[in-house]
Amino acid sequence: MSYTFWIILTGCLVGLTCGIAGSLLVLRKMSMIADAISHTVLLGIVGAFFVTQSLNGIPMLIGAAVVGLLTAYLVELLSNSGVQSDASIGVVFTSLFALGVVLISFIGDQVHLDTKHALMGEIAFVPWDTLQINGESYGPVAVWMLGFSLLFNILLITLFYKQIKMSTFDPQFAALVGIPLTFIHYLLMTMVSFSTVASFNSVGAILVVAMLIVPGATAYLLSDRFLHVIILSGAVGVLSALLGYLCASFFNVSIAGSMATMTGVLFSLAFLFSPKHGIVFKKINSGYEAIKVK
Amino acid sequence: MIRKGLSMLLAIMVFISLAACTNKDVSKDGKKIKVVTTIAQIADIVKNVGGEHVNVISLMGPGTDPHLYNAVQGDIKKLNDADVIFYNGLHLEGQMGEIFEKMQEQKPTIPVAENIPDKYLLSDPSSPSIPDPHVWFDISNWKYAVESVRDNLIALDEANKNSYTKNAANYLTELSELNDYVKKRTKEISEESRVLVTAHDAFNYFGEAYGYEVVGLQGLSTESEYSVSDVQHIVDILVDRDIKGVFVESSVSERSIKAVVEGAKEAGHEVSIGGELYSDAMGEEGTEEGTYFGMFKHNVDTIVDSLK
Repeated sequence: MSYTFWIILTGCLVGLTCGIAGSLLVLRKMSMIADAISHTVLLGIVGAFFVTQSLNGIPMLIGAAVVGLLTAYLVELLSNSGVQSDASIGVVFTSLFALGVVLISFIGDQVHLDTKHALMGEIAFVPWDTLQINGESYGPVAVWMLGFSLLFNILLITLFYKQIKMSTFDPQFAALVGIPLTFIHYLLMTMVSFSTVASFNSVGAILVVAMLIVPGATAYLLSDRFLHVIILSGAVGVLSALLGYLCASFFNVSIAGSMATMTGVLFSLAFLFSPKHGIVFKKINSGYEAIKVK
Repeated sequence: MIRKGLSMLLAIMVFISLAACTNKDVSKDGKKIKVVTTIAQIADIVKNVGGEHVNVISLMGPGTDPHLYNAVQGDIKKLNDADVIFYNGLHLEGQMGEIFEKMQEQKPTIPVAENIPDKYLLSDPSSPSIPDPHVWFDISNWKYAVESVRDNLIALDEANKNSYTKNAANYLTELSELNDYVKKRTKEISEESRVLVTAHDAFNYFGEAYGYEVVGLQGLSTESEYSVSDVQHIVDILVDRDIKGVFVESSVSERSIKAVVEGAKEAGHEVSIGGELYSDAMGEEGTEEGTYFGMFKHNVDTIVDSLK
């Protein structure tokens, strides 16, 4: 009973944290950054191994966070200097990942080091991975990490709401009225890379990548207003987590996989039936138009 | 309006999912110790040592490669209901291992491979602090795992101590016989030709224990890639030492090993693919290869038949 609660809570927190961060990424055409970070963290864990000579989780997490930030900053740097944003993600992603692959061959064939084992968490085991201080147990580590990154995200968005909004929709105007564009960009990238790495460590790659991209894209189909998109995106994330868990327990399948699938299902529904952009309503509307013309 | 509807929906979802989990079905055989293991090789020990007193579930079925394992929703219940959890340890299970360490507070979780004295563990020269976790390919190492299972079952269930001790003794004898069998069959191959070329370096313990030189094409980690010089190096060995067979593994694709066969052919040396070895995974449940003995015997027979 209680372990179910922790898993559902973790799923919802991932949905909210990544949904909110993801809605901003989709608006800025940078959604694939999550996928990039899911690969470049390999460099981080290899680096952590070189430093500590052990396979312990905490150095791996720190290494991953550092490389996550590095990835985000490099992408931002390249796209600010005129490289297309999709291309700059591609360039950073492949080169850092490849560097990780090259370095891994220096640590010897008999060491078992890969991102899936060293960094990626599994949502099914979240309830047992508890935070322990002086022998007291304070609930799952994942809930704490995700809770903090959610707070961090909400705090940043409320503090800099106007600046973020303007720099997203009208960068020229924002620069004109004196908003520090570069600062805002790097701030958002920091937020995204922390949310991503914290979520990776709690629930694994596939769910995080799905939650960062799909809810944002779904919300964008449902509304055009900035605040609504952010809220809807978080809501779609949470709803996917809940439906996904139900589905996983019904079919006895992977929880993360099933939650990620649900984001896809919800997206398809929005794609078909969204009042503004859904193709069903578009068909109906164009039907009306046709009748009117007659 | 929409938001109200949404939150209602959420509340209902949470309620249903919580309610669904409260009706725990009472196990039919309540007296048996419920054991959960990670890999099937350990489940095989527990089945044999525990006998009628235990109920064993392995999270990774016999045919599952532990590197590719993904938890399903039902695994949570299995772990939660277990009286004791046996796992390999030595980082074979990755992060799961760290979670098992933390679960230690709630129930015994035992890394059986960590019962093996450090001096018998192999590690890579460039990273000496990290041992190779594939310990089950050296039968004398695996005996320590059997002892660990025996001692921990006794600690849980003193009443059946005699039964566990007797079963474990039988199992250990069988392991010794298997060990002799492997050594006997190995002698059928000339010393020069005892070279095991395979796609994945899981056989280091096997090589060390039974005198084979193990040449792997790919590192332990699934993320390390093989290089051109690796392929060339292996082709040279095959040609120089006149090795007749190379091997594929049940859990690794055949493609990389085929590159080697093609390379040897170009150098004018005919090599056959000697058959499938079980590395991380075992055979399907219910077949002979689905047990530790069957799996080991299959490997040895396959190796000897194609190398001699």
